[in-house]
Amino acid sequence: MFLAAALVAVGAASLVVGPGDLSDEALRDAFLRLRAARLLGAVVAGGALAAGGAIVQGVFRNPLASPSILGTTAGASFGGQAVLLLHGSLAGAGALGGVAPEMVLPIGCLLGAFVSLGVLLAFVRRGADLLTLLLTGFALTSLFLAFGSFLTAIAQERYELGRAVVSFTLGGLGGVGWAHVRLALPLVVGGAVAAVLWARPLDLLLSGEDEAQSLGVDVRATRTWAIVWVGVLTAAAVALGGNIAFVGLVVPHALRPFVGVAHRPLVLASLLGGAAFLAACDLLARALPTTVEAPLGVITGLVGAPVFLWLLMRDRREAA
Amino acid sequence: MIRARGVRVRRGAREVLRGVDLDARAGEVTSVLGPNGAGKSTLLRALAGLLPCEGEIEVGGAALLGLSPRARAQTIAYVPQRTQLQSALPVAAVVAQGRYAHTGGLGRPGGADRRAIASALARTGLEALADRAFDRLSTGEQRRVLLARALATGAPTLLLDEPTEALDVGHSLALHALLRSLAEDGRTVVAVLHGLDDARRHTDRAILLQDGAVVAAGPSDEVVSAAPVREVYGVTLREREGLAFALAPEDDG
Repeated sequence: MFLAAALVAVGAASLVVGPGDLSDEALRDAFLRLRAARLLGAVVAGGALAAGGAIVQGVFRNPLASPSILGTTAGASFGGQAVLLLHGSLAGAGALGGVAPEMVLPIGCLLGAFVSLGVLLAFVRRGADLLTLLLTGFALTSLFLAFGSFLTAIAQERYELGRAVVSFTLGGLGGVGWAHVRLALPLVVGGAVAAVLWARPLDLLLSGEDEAQSLGVDVRATRTWAIVWVGVLTAAAVALGGNIAFVGLVVPHALRPFVGVAHRPLVLASLLGGAAFLAACDLLARALPTTVEAPLGVITGLVGAPVFLWLLMRDRREAA
Repeated sequence: MIRARGVRVRRGAREVLRGVDLDARAGEVTSVLGPNGAGKSTLLRALAGLLPCEGEIEVGGAALLGLSPRARAQTIAYVPQRTQLQSALPVAAVVAQGRYAHTGGLGRPGGADRRAIASALARTGLEALADRAFDRLSTGEQRRVLLARALATGAPTLLLDEPTEALDVGHSLALHALLRSLAEDGRTVVAVLHGLDDARRHTDRAILLQDGAVVAAGPSDEVVSAAPVREVYGVTLREREGLAFALAPEDDG
Protein backbone atom coordinates (compact mmCIF):
# COMPACT_ATOMS: atom_id res chain seq x y z
CA MET A 1 0.00 0.00 0.00
CA PHE A 2 2.81 2.37 0.96
CA LEU A 3 4.69 1.54 -2.25
CA ALA A 4 1.59 2.11 -4.37
CA ALA A 5 0.99 5.47 -2.65
CA ALA A 6 4.64 6.44 -3.16
CA LEU A 7 4.36 5.53 -6.84
CA VAL A 8 1.21 7.61 -7.28
CA ALA A 9 2.80 10.59 -5.51
CA VAL A 10 6.00 10.41 -7.55
CA GLY A 11 3.97 9.91 -10.73
CA ALA A 12 1.85 13.00 -10.05
CA ALA A 13 4.95 15.09 -9.34
CA SER A 14 6.63 13.76 -12.50
CA LEU A 15 3.81 15.07 -14.65
CA VAL A 16 4.19 18.56 -13.21
CA VAL A 17 7.99 18.89 -13.13
CA GLY A 18 10.07 19.35 -16.26
CA PRO A 19 10.86 21.74 -19.07
CA GLY A 20 7.79 23.25 -20.68
CA ASP A 21 5.04 25.54 -19.39
CA LEU A 22 1.81 23.70 -18.54
CA SER A 23 -0.10 26.96 -18.34
CA ASP A 24 0.22 27.25 -22.11
CA GLU A 25 -3.02 25.57 -23.14
CA ALA A 26 -1.88 24.94 -26.70
CA LEU A 27 1.13 22.92 -25.58
CA ARG A 28 -0.12 21.48 -22.28
CA ASP A 29 -1.45 18.25 -23.76
CA ALA A 30 1.73 17.66 -25.74
CA PHE A 31 3.91 18.21 -22.65
CA LEU A 32 1.73 15.93 -20.54
CA ARG A 33 1.80 13.21 -23.19
CA LEU A 34 5.60 13.34 -23.36
CA ARG A 35 5.95 13.32 -19.58
CA ALA A 36 3.41 10.51 -19.21
CA ALA A 37 5.36 8.34 -21.69
CA ARG A 38 8.58 9.10 -19.85
CA LEU A 39 6.96 8.37 -16.49
CA LEU A 40 5.56 5.09 -17.77
CA GLY A 41 9.00 4.25 -19.16
CA ALA A 42 10.50 4.82 -15.69
CA VAL A 43 7.77 2.73 -14.06
CA VAL A 44 8.22 -0.17 -16.48
CA ALA A 45 12.04 -0.09 -16.45
CA GLY A 46 12.28 0.35 -12.67
CA GLY A 47 9.80 -2.42 -11.99
CA ALA A 48 11.57 -4.73 -14.43
CA LEU A 49 15.02 -4.15 -12.93
CA ALA A 50 13.84 -4.58 -9.33
CA ALA A 51 11.80 -7.71 -10.12
CA GLY A 52 14.80 -9.12 -12.02
CA GLY A 53 16.94 -8.36 -8.98
CA ALA A 54 14.57 -10.19 -6.64
CA ILE A 55 14.67 -13.29 -8.86
CA VAL A 56 18.42 -13.31 -9.42
CA GLN A 57 19.07 -12.85 -5.69
CA GLY A 58 16.92 -15.94 -5.09
CA VAL A 59 18.62 -18.00 -7.79
CA PHE A 60 22.07 -17.22 -6.42
CA ARG A 61 20.88 -17.27 -2.78
CA ASN A 62 22.71 -14.00 -2.41
CA PRO A 63 20.98 -10.75 -1.46
CA LEU A 64 23.87 -8.83 -3.02
CA ALA A 65 23.34 -10.21 -6.54
CA SER A 66 22.19 -7.88 -9.31
CA PRO A 67 20.44 -8.71 -12.61
CA SER A 68 23.55 -7.50 -14.44
CA ILE A 69 25.38 -10.54 -13.02
CA LEU A 70 24.04 -12.68 -15.89
CA GLY A 71 25.63 -10.61 -18.65
CA THR A 72 22.34 -9.74 -20.36
CA THR A 73 22.59 -6.09 -19.28
CA ALA A 74 26.02 -5.77 -20.88
CA GLY A 75 24.73 -7.66 -23.95
CA ALA A 76 21.78 -5.28 -24.27
CA SER A 77 24.04 -2.29 -23.84
CA PHE A 78 26.41 -3.59 -26.52
CA GLY A 79 23.47 -4.22 -28.85
CA GLY A 80 22.34 -0.62 -28.36
CA GLN A 81 25.81 0.77 -28.98
CA ALA A 82 26.22 -1.40 -32.08
CA VAL A 83 23.00 -0.22 -33.72
CA LEU A 84 23.80 3.40 -32.89
CA LEU A 85 27.09 2.98 -34.72
CA LEU A 86 25.68 0.97 -37.61
CA HIS A 87 22.43 2.86 -37.96
CA GLY A 88 23.56 4.97 -40.88
CA SER A 89 24.99 2.00 -42.80
CA LEU A 90 21.97 -0.19 -42.10
CA ALA A 91 19.54 2.52 -43.20
CA GLY A 92 21.59 3.17 -46.33
CA ALA A 93 21.53 -0.51 -47.27
CA GLY A 94 17.79 -0.68 -46.63
CA ALA A 95 18.33 -3.32 -43.98
CA LEU A 96 16.01 -1.67 -41.47
CA GLY A 97 12.91 -2.40 -43.50
CA GLY A 98 9.91 -0.74 -41.95
CA VAL A 99 11.49 -0.20 -38.53
CA ALA A 100 10.96 3.37 -37.35
CA PRO A 101 14.24 5.19 -36.64
CA GLU A 102 13.41 5.70 -32.95
CA MET A 103 12.83 1.95 -32.52
CA VAL A 104 16.22 0.85 -33.85
CA LEU A 105 17.98 1.46 -30.52
CA PRO A 106 15.58 -0.52 -28.28
CA ILE A 107 15.42 -3.35 -30.81
CA GLY A 108 19.23 -3.44 -30.90
CA CYS A 109 19.25 -3.66 -27.09
CA LEU A 110 16.82 -6.57 -27.14
CA LEU A 111 18.87 -8.40 -29.78
CA GLY A 112 22.08 -7.89 -27.81
CA ALA A 113 20.44 -9.11 -24.62
CA PHE A 114 19.01 -12.20 -26.28
CA VAL A 115 22.37 -13.12 -27.88
CA SER A 116 23.96 -12.90 -24.44
CA LEU A 117 21.10 -14.86 -22.90
CA GLY A 118 21.43 -17.54 -25.59
CA VAL A 119 25.12 -18.05 -24.80
CA LEU A 120 24.35 -18.27 -21.09
CA LEU A 121 21.56 -20.80 -21.64
CA ALA A 122 23.86 -22.92 -23.80
CA PHE A 123 26.11 -23.26 -20.76
CA VAL A 124 23.18 -23.99 -18.44
CA ARG A 125 21.95 -26.72 -20.78
CA ARG A 126 25.29 -28.44 -20.33
CA GLY A 127 24.52 -28.73 -16.63
CA ALA A 128 26.42 -25.74 -15.32
CA ASP A 129 26.36 -25.37 -11.55
CA LEU A 130 25.79 -22.08 -9.78
CA LEU A 131 29.46 -21.11 -9.74
CA THR A 132 29.87 -21.84 -13.45
CA LEU A 133 26.75 -19.81 -14.14
CA LEU A 134 28.13 -16.91 -12.13
CA LEU A 135 31.51 -17.05 -13.86
CA THR A 136 29.89 -17.37 -17.31
CA GLY A 137 27.80 -14.28 -16.58
CA PHE A 138 30.92 -12.47 -15.43
CA ALA A 139 32.82 -13.47 -18.57
CA LEU A 140 29.93 -12.39 -20.82
CA THR A 141 29.70 -9.06 -19.00
CA SER A 142 33.43 -8.45 -19.45
CA LEU A 143 33.28 -9.49 -23.10
CA PHE A 144 30.33 -7.25 -24.01
CA LEU A 145 31.71 -4.33 -22.00
CA ALA A 146 35.00 -4.68 -23.89
CA PHE A 147 33.17 -4.74 -27.24
CA GLY A 148 31.05 -1.79 -26.10
CA SER A 149 34.12 0.21 -25.09
CA PHE A 150 35.65 -0.47 -28.49
CA LEU A 151 32.49 0.78 -30.21
CA THR A 152 32.48 3.86 -27.96
CA ALA A 153 36.07 4.58 -28.97
CA ILE A 154 35.20 4.22 -32.68
CA ALA A 155 32.16 6.47 -32.25
CA GLN A 156 34.33 9.32 -30.96
CA GLU A 157 35.48 9.97 -34.57
CA ARG A 158 32.09 11.62 -35.16
CA TYR A 159 31.06 14.10 -32.47
CA GLU A 160 27.29 13.59 -32.59
CA LEU A 161 27.59 9.82 -32.75
CA GLY A 162 30.10 9.75 -29.89
CA ARG A 163 27.77 11.92 -27.83
CA ALA A 164 24.82 9.64 -28.53
CA VAL A 165 26.76 6.50 -27.58
CA VAL A 166 28.05 8.04 -24.32
CA SER A 167 24.60 9.39 -23.48
CA PHE A 168 23.04 5.95 -24.03
CA THR A 169 25.75 4.34 -21.90
CA LEU A 170 25.04 6.71 -18.99
CA GLY A 171 21.34 5.84 -19.05
CA GLY A 172 18.33 8.09 -19.40
CA LEU A 173 14.65 8.16 -20.23
CA GLY A 174 14.65 11.42 -22.17
CA GLY A 175 13.97 9.78 -25.51
CA VAL A 176 11.27 7.38 -24.33
CA GLY A 177 8.04 7.59 -26.29
CA TRP A 178 4.86 5.53 -26.37
CA ALA A 179 6.29 3.21 -29.05
CA HIS A 180 9.19 2.31 -26.73
CA VAL A 181 6.78 1.59 -23.89
CA ARG A 182 4.62 -0.54 -26.20
CA LEU A 183 7.69 -2.59 -27.14
CA ALA A 184 8.95 -3.11 -23.58
CA LEU A 185 5.68 -3.44 -21.66
CA PRO A 186 4.65 -6.92 -22.93
CA LEU A 187 8.12 -8.25 -22.16
CA VAL A 188 8.02 -6.86 -18.62
CA VAL A 189 4.47 -8.02 -17.97
CA GLY A 190 5.28 -11.48 -19.35
CA GLY A 191 8.51 -11.75 -17.37
CA ALA A 192 6.91 -10.52 -14.15
CA VAL A 193 3.88 -12.81 -14.41
CA ALA A 194 6.12 -15.79 -15.12
CA ALA A 195 8.38 -14.87 -12.20
CA VAL A 196 5.40 -14.69 -9.84
CA LEU A 197 4.13 -18.06 -11.09
CA TRP A 198 7.58 -19.66 -10.54
CA ALA A 199 7.92 -18.15 -7.08
CA ARG A 200 7.39 -21.34 -5.08
CA PRO A 201 10.22 -23.39 -6.60
CA LEU A 202 12.42 -20.32 -6.20
CA ASP A 203 11.50 -20.30 -2.50
CA LEU A 204 12.54 -23.94 -2.24
CA LEU A 205 15.84 -23.21 -3.98
CA LEU A 206 16.74 -21.03 -0.98
CA SER A 207 17.47 -24.33 0.78
CA GLY A 208 20.06 -25.29 -1.83
CA GLU A 209 19.90 -27.63 -4.79
CA ASP A 210 19.88 -30.94 -2.92
CA GLU A 211 17.05 -30.01 -0.62
CA ALA A 212 14.99 -28.38 -3.37
CA GLN A 213 15.45 -31.43 -5.59
CA SER A 214 14.55 -33.79 -2.76
CA LEU A 215 11.32 -31.81 -2.27
CA GLY A 216 10.34 -32.31 -5.91
CA VAL A 217 11.74 -29.21 -7.63
CA ASP A 218 13.17 -29.64 -11.11
CA VAL A 219 16.21 -27.54 -10.26
CA ARG A 220 17.63 -27.19 -13.74
CA ALA A 221 14.30 -26.18 -15.31
CA THR A 222 13.58 -23.71 -12.51
CA ARG A 223 16.99 -22.11 -12.81
CA THR A 224 16.87 -22.01 -16.62
CA TRP A 225 13.46 -20.34 -16.72
CA ALA A 226 14.42 -17.93 -13.94
CA ILE A 227 17.41 -16.86 -16.03
CA VAL A 228 15.13 -16.38 -19.04
CA TRP A 229 12.74 -14.15 -17.05
CA VAL A 230 15.60 -12.08 -15.65
CA GLY A 231 17.11 -11.75 -19.14
CA VAL A 232 13.78 -10.62 -20.62
CA LEU A 233 13.17 -8.11 -17.81
CA THR A 234 16.65 -6.56 -17.99
CA ALA A 235 16.58 -6.47 -21.80
CA ALA A 236 13.33 -4.51 -21.69
CA ALA A 237 14.73 -2.15 -19.04
CA VAL A 238 17.92 -1.41 -20.99
CA ALA A 239 15.90 -0.96 -24.18
CA LEU A 240 13.95 1.78 -22.40
CA GLY A 241 16.60 3.54 -20.37
CA GLY A 242 20.10 2.29 -21.21
CA ASN A 243 22.42 1.40 -18.34
CA ILE A 244 20.68 2.05 -15.05
CA ALA A 245 22.65 0.88 -12.05
CA PHE A 246 21.67 -0.17 -8.53
CA VAL A 247 17.88 -0.48 -8.98
CA GLY A 248 17.95 -4.28 -9.24
CA LEU A 249 20.39 -4.52 -6.37
CA VAL A 250 19.00 -2.05 -3.85
CA VAL A 251 15.22 -2.27 -4.18
CA PRO A 252 14.65 -6.00 -3.40
CA HIS A 253 17.31 -5.84 -0.68
CA ALA A 254 15.58 -2.87 0.94
CA LEU A 255 12.11 -4.46 0.71
CA ARG A 256 13.00 -7.90 2.05
CA PRO A 257 12.78 -6.92 5.77
CA PHE A 258 9.27 -5.58 5.18
CA VAL A 259 7.71 -8.17 2.85
CA GLY A 260 9.78 -11.23 3.77
CA VAL A 261 11.91 -13.55 1.66
CA ALA A 262 9.11 -15.49 -0.10
CA HIS A 263 9.42 -14.67 -3.80
CA ARG A 264 5.79 -14.03 -4.70
CA PRO A 265 5.28 -11.02 -2.40
CA LEU A 266 8.89 -9.94 -2.91
CA VAL A 267 8.62 -9.84 -6.72
CA LEU A 268 5.30 -7.99 -6.56
CA ALA A 269 6.64 -5.47 -4.04
CA SER A 270 9.83 -5.06 -6.11
CA LEU A 271 7.77 -4.23 -9.19
CA LEU A 272 6.11 -1.39 -7.28
CA GLY A 273 9.20 -0.35 -5.34
CA GLY A 274 11.46 -0.34 -8.41
CA ALA A 275 8.88 1.66 -10.35
CA ALA A 276 8.61 4.26 -7.58
CA PHE A 277 12.39 4.40 -7.06
CA LEU A 278 13.25 4.92 -10.73
CA ALA A 279 10.41 7.40 -11.27
CA ALA A 280 11.72 9.37 -8.26
CA CYS A 281 15.31 9.26 -9.59
CA ASP A 282 14.11 10.44 -13.01
CA LEU A 283 12.16 13.23 -11.33
CA LEU A 284 15.32 14.22 -9.47
CA ALA A 285 17.33 14.14 -12.72
CA ARG A 286 14.89 16.60 -14.25
CA ALA A 287 14.55 18.79 -11.16
CA LEU A 288 18.25 19.28 -10.45
CA PRO A 289 19.35 22.79 -11.48
CA THR A 290 22.11 21.65 -13.82
CA THR A 291 22.97 23.02 -17.27
CA VAL A 292 22.29 19.61 -18.83
CA GLU A 293 19.93 16.97 -17.46
CA ALA A 294 21.81 14.65 -15.09
CA PRO A 295 22.08 11.14 -16.61
CA LEU A 296 19.65 8.75 -14.93
CA GLY A 297 22.31 6.07 -14.40
CA VAL A 298 24.36 8.64 -12.49
CA ILE A 299 21.40 9.60 -10.29
CA THR A 300 20.50 5.97 -9.46
CA GLY A 301 24.15 5.36 -8.58
CA LEU A 302 24.40 8.49 -6.43
CA VAL A 303 21.18 7.65 -4.59
CA GLY A 304 21.51 3.87 -4.65
CA ALA A 305 25.08 3.48 -3.42
CA PRO A 306 24.62 5.33 -0.08
CA VAL A 307 21.27 3.60 0.47
CA PHE A 308 22.91 0.27 -0.20
CA LEU A 309 25.75 1.00 2.25
CA TRP A 310 23.18 2.00 4.86
CA LEU A 311 21.27 -1.25 4.29
CA LEU A 312 24.49 -3.22 4.68
CA MET A 313 25.29 -1.51 7.97
CA ARG A 314 21.73 -2.09 9.19
CA ASP A 315 21.99 -5.80 8.30
CA ARG A 316 25.27 -6.06 10.20
CA ARG A 317 23.82 -4.34 13.25
CA GLU A 318 20.85 -6.71 13.26
CA ALA A 319 23.07 -9.76 12.79
CA ALA A 320 25.33 -8.72 15.71
CA MET B 1 11.52 -50.39 1.75
CA ILE B 2 14.77 -49.76 -0.06
CA ARG B 3 16.69 -52.34 -2.03
CA ALA B 4 20.02 -51.23 -3.47
CA ARG B 5 22.41 -53.42 -5.41
CA GLY B 6 25.90 -52.63 -6.64
CA VAL B 7 25.67 -48.87 -6.09
CA ARG B 8 28.73 -47.10 -7.44
CA VAL B 9 29.45 -43.38 -7.36
CA ARG B 10 32.47 -41.79 -9.02
CA ARG B 11 33.97 -38.38 -8.44
CA GLY B 12 36.40 -37.87 -11.26
CA ALA B 13 38.78 -40.81 -11.26
CA ARG B 14 37.98 -41.72 -7.65
CA GLU B 15 35.31 -44.27 -6.80
CA VAL B 16 33.54 -43.01 -3.66
CA LEU B 17 31.09 -45.93 -3.45
CA ARG B 18 32.25 -49.32 -4.69
CA GLY B 19 29.31 -51.60 -5.30
CA VAL B 20 27.26 -51.08 -2.14
CA ASP B 21 24.27 -53.35 -1.39
CA LEU B 22 21.65 -52.23 1.12
CA ASP B 23 18.30 -53.53 2.32
CA ALA B 24 16.20 -51.27 4.52
CA ARG B 25 12.81 -52.60 5.61
CA ALA B 26 9.59 -50.81 6.35
CA GLY B 27 8.90 -50.63 10.09
CA GLU B 28 12.61 -50.59 10.95
CA VAL B 29 15.30 -48.02 11.61
CA THR B 30 18.47 -48.74 9.67
CA SER B 31 21.73 -46.97 10.47
CA VAL B 32 24.59 -46.29 8.05
CA LEU B 33 27.90 -46.33 9.93
CA GLY B 34 31.54 -45.84 9.13
CA PRO B 35 34.52 -43.58 9.79
CA ASN B 36 34.91 -40.15 8.23
CA GLY B 37 35.14 -40.37 4.44
CA ALA B 38 33.68 -43.88 4.29
CA GLY B 39 30.94 -42.73 1.88
CA LYS B 40 27.94 -42.62 4.28
CA SER B 41 26.53 -39.28 3.13
CA THR B 42 27.25 -40.14 -0.50
CA LEU B 43 25.27 -43.36 -0.12
CA LEU B 44 22.36 -41.47 1.41
CA ARG B 45 22.36 -38.89 -1.41
CA ALA B 46 22.49 -41.68 -3.98
CA LEU B 47 19.51 -43.39 -2.31
CA ALA B 48 17.67 -40.05 -2.40
CA GLY B 49 18.29 -39.77 -6.14
CA LEU B 50 20.44 -36.67 -5.73
CA LEU B 51 23.59 -38.14 -7.28
CA PRO B 52 24.21 -39.87 -10.58
CA CYS B 53 25.21 -43.44 -9.76
CA GLU B 54 25.52 -46.91 -11.23
CA GLY B 55 23.67 -49.93 -9.90
CA GLU B 56 20.05 -50.61 -9.02
CA ILE B 57 18.02 -48.75 -6.43
CA GLU B 58 14.41 -49.69 -5.77
CA VAL B 59 12.24 -47.76 -3.36
CA GLY B 60 8.89 -49.27 -2.43
CA GLY B 61 9.31 -51.70 -5.30
CA ALA B 62 9.79 -48.98 -7.96
CA ALA B 63 13.05 -48.17 -9.71
CA LEU B 64 14.38 -44.85 -8.41
CA LEU B 65 15.57 -43.72 -11.84
CA GLY B 66 12.11 -44.12 -13.33
CA LEU B 67 10.51 -41.65 -10.93
CA SER B 68 9.83 -38.02 -11.84
CA PRO B 69 11.18 -35.40 -9.38
CA ARG B 70 7.74 -34.97 -7.82
CA ALA B 71 6.99 -38.70 -7.65
CA ARG B 72 10.40 -39.23 -6.05
CA ALA B 73 9.70 -36.51 -3.48
CA GLN B 74 6.42 -38.22 -2.59
CA THR B 75 8.29 -41.50 -2.09
CA ILE B 76 11.52 -40.45 -0.36
CA ALA B 77 12.09 -37.63 2.13
CA TYR B 78 15.67 -36.51 2.68
CA VAL B 79 17.03 -34.52 5.61
CA PRO B 80 20.58 -33.26 4.98
CA GLN B 81 23.31 -33.01 7.57
CA ARG B 82 23.41 -29.24 7.22
CA THR B 83 20.89 -27.08 5.45
CA GLN B 84 21.81 -24.15 3.26
CA LEU B 85 18.56 -22.48 4.23
CA GLN B 86 19.46 -19.33 6.12
CA SER B 87 16.44 -17.21 5.56
CA ALA B 88 13.79 -15.53 7.65
CA LEU B 89 10.98 -17.75 6.31
CA PRO B 90 8.55 -18.64 9.12
CA VAL B 91 8.81 -22.20 10.43
CA ALA B 92 5.32 -23.05 9.17
CA ALA B 93 6.29 -21.89 5.65
CA VAL B 94 9.42 -24.05 5.70
CA VAL B 95 7.40 -27.08 6.80
CA ALA B 96 4.79 -26.30 4.12
CA GLN B 97 7.54 -26.65 1.49
CA GLY B 98 7.25 -30.37 2.15
CA ARG B 99 3.93 -30.32 0.30
CA TYR B 100 5.42 -28.91 -2.94
CA ALA B 101 5.45 -32.34 -4.58
CA HIS B 102 1.71 -32.62 -3.92
CA THR B 103 0.55 -29.10 -4.76
CA GLY B 104 3.10 -28.09 -7.41
CA GLY B 105 4.19 -24.52 -8.00
CA LEU B 106 0.75 -23.06 -8.62
CA GLY B 107 -1.55 -25.19 -6.49
CA ARG B 108 -2.94 -23.88 -3.24
CA PRO B 109 -2.63 -26.15 -0.19
CA GLY B 110 -5.86 -28.05 0.41
CA GLY B 111 -7.22 -29.77 3.48
CA ALA B 112 -4.89 -32.76 3.19
CA ASP B 113 -1.90 -30.45 2.88
CA ARG B 114 -2.90 -28.40 5.92
CA ARG B 115 -3.45 -31.57 7.96
CA ALA B 116 -0.04 -32.96 6.93
CA ILE B 117 1.67 -29.69 7.89
CA ALA B 118 -0.14 -29.50 11.25
CA SER B 119 0.63 -33.13 11.98
CA ALA B 120 4.32 -32.66 11.14
CA LEU B 121 4.54 -29.60 13.38
CA ALA B 122 2.82 -31.45 16.22
CA ARG B 123 4.90 -34.58 15.90
CA THR B 124 8.14 -32.63 16.09
CA GLY B 125 6.90 -30.37 18.90
CA LEU B 126 7.15 -27.22 16.80
CA GLU B 127 3.64 -25.84 17.13
CA ALA B 128 4.78 -23.04 19.44
CA LEU B 129 7.51 -22.04 17.00
CA ALA B 130 5.35 -22.06 13.86
CA ASP B 131 5.57 -18.30 13.34
CA ARG B 132 9.23 -17.88 14.26
CA ALA B 133 11.80 -17.03 11.58
CA PHE B 134 13.88 -20.07 10.63
CA ASP B 135 17.20 -18.24 10.83
CA ARG B 136 16.47 -17.19 14.43
CA LEU B 137 16.24 -20.79 15.68
CA SER B 138 18.92 -22.82 17.42
CA THR B 139 20.65 -25.62 15.51
CA GLY B 140 18.56 -28.24 17.30
CA GLU B 141 15.33 -26.42 16.51
CA GLN B 142 16.34 -26.03 12.86
CA ARG B 143 16.96 -29.78 12.75
CA ARG B 144 13.46 -30.42 13.99
CA VAL B 145 12.03 -28.04 11.37
CA LEU B 146 13.83 -29.89 8.59
CA LEU B 147 12.55 -33.19 9.96
CA ALA B 148 9.03 -31.74 10.12
CA ARG B 149 9.35 -30.63 6.48
CA ALA B 150 10.38 -34.18 5.57
CA LEU B 151 7.41 -35.60 7.49
CA ALA B 152 5.06 -33.18 5.75
CA THR B 153 5.95 -34.78 2.42
CA GLY B 154 4.08 -37.88 3.57
CA ALA B 155 6.83 -39.99 2.02
CA PRO B 156 6.98 -43.55 3.38
CA THR B 157 10.79 -43.55 3.24
CA LEU B 158 12.86 -41.21 5.38
CA LEU B 159 16.60 -40.63 4.86
CA LEU B 160 18.46 -38.61 7.51
CA ASP B 161 22.10 -37.56 7.41
CA GLU B 162 23.56 -37.40 10.93
CA PRO B 163 20.32 -36.19 12.50
CA THR B 164 21.77 -36.08 16.03
CA GLU B 165 24.88 -34.07 15.18
CA ALA B 166 25.20 -31.02 17.50
CA LEU B 167 22.20 -32.11 19.57
CA ASP B 168 22.44 -32.40 23.36
CA VAL B 169 21.68 -35.72 24.99
CA GLY B 170 18.03 -34.90 25.70
CA HIS B 171 17.24 -33.76 22.15
CA SER B 172 19.23 -36.65 20.75
CA LEU B 173 17.22 -39.20 22.71
CA ALA B 174 13.96 -37.47 21.80
CA LEU B 175 14.91 -37.63 18.13
CA HIS B 176 15.71 -41.34 18.33
CA ALA B 177 12.35 -41.90 20.02
CA LEU B 178 10.65 -40.01 17.19
CA LEU B 179 12.45 -42.05 14.54
CA ARG B 180 11.35 -45.21 16.33
CA SER B 181 7.73 -44.10 16.37
CA LEU B 182 7.91 -43.19 12.68
CA ALA B 183 9.21 -46.68 11.91
CA GLU B 184 6.43 -48.20 14.02
CA ASP B 185 3.98 -46.31 11.78
CA GLY B 186 5.32 -48.39 8.90
CA ARG B 187 7.92 -46.01 7.46
CA THR B 188 11.35 -47.06 6.28
CA VAL B 189 13.87 -44.99 8.22
CA VAL B 190 17.54 -44.83 7.23
CA ALA B 191 19.91 -42.62 9.23
CA VAL B 192 23.62 -41.94 8.93
CA LEU B 193 25.00 -42.04 12.48
CA HIS B 194 28.42 -41.44 13.97
CA GLY B 195 27.70 -42.83 17.41
CA LEU B 196 28.11 -46.62 17.45
CA ASP B 197 26.35 -46.81 20.82
CA ASP B 198 23.37 -44.90 19.38
CA ALA B 199 23.25 -47.23 16.40
CA ARG B 200 23.25 -50.29 18.57
CA ARG B 201 20.74 -48.94 21.06
CA HIS B 202 18.28 -47.19 18.77
CA THR B 203 18.37 -48.89 15.36
CA ASP B 204 17.27 -52.31 14.21
CA ARG B 205 19.74 -52.91 11.43
CA ALA B 206 23.05 -51.37 10.43
CA ILE B 207 25.39 -51.23 7.48
CA LEU B 208 29.07 -50.50 8.17
CA LEU B 209 31.08 -48.84 5.40
CA GLN B 210 34.79 -48.38 4.90
CA ASP B 211 36.37 -46.74 1.85
CA GLY B 212 33.09 -46.89 -0.03
CA ALA B 213 32.49 -50.61 0.47
CA VAL B 214 30.35 -52.63 2.89
CA VAL B 215 32.29 -54.29 5.70
CA ALA B 216 29.29 -55.61 7.63
CA ALA B 217 25.50 -55.48 7.35
CA GLY B 218 22.74 -56.99 9.45
CA PRO B 219 21.13 -56.58 12.87
CA SER B 220 22.69 -53.62 14.71
CA ASP B 221 24.02 -55.70 17.63
CA GLU B 222 25.89 -57.93 15.18
CA VAL B 223 27.31 -55.10 13.09
CA VAL B 224 28.32 -53.03 16.11
CA SER B 225 30.35 -55.84 17.64
CA ALA B 226 33.97 -56.40 18.47
CA ALA B 227 35.32 -57.77 15.19
CA PRO B 228 33.85 -55.29 12.65
CA VAL B 229 34.51 -52.34 14.95
CA ARG B 230 38.14 -53.35 15.39
CA GLU B 231 38.53 -53.91 11.62
CA VAL B 232 37.05 -50.54 10.61
CA TYR B 233 37.91 -48.19 13.46
CA GLY B 234 40.95 -49.96 14.95
CA VAL B 235 39.46 -49.77 18.45
CA THR B 236 38.44 -52.33 21.04
CA LEU B 237 34.78 -52.54 22.00
CA ARG B 238 34.26 -52.65 25.78
CA GLU B 239 30.59 -53.39 26.26
CA ARG B 240 30.26 -52.83 29.99
CA GLU B 241 31.95 -49.44 30.19
CA GLY B 242 30.56 -45.93 29.72
CA LEU B 243 27.41 -44.03 30.71
CA ALA B 244 23.89 -44.83 29.63
CA PHE B 245 21.02 -42.33 29.39
CA ALA B 246 17.28 -42.59 28.83
CA LEU B 247 14.51 -40.06 28.38
CA ALA B 248 12.98 -39.15 31.75
CA PRO B 249 9.26 -39.88 32.26
CA GLU B 250 7.19 -36.79 31.45
CA ASP B 251 5.93 -36.36 35.05
CA ASP B 252 9.46 -36.59 36.45
CA GLY B 253 10.12 -33.10 37.85
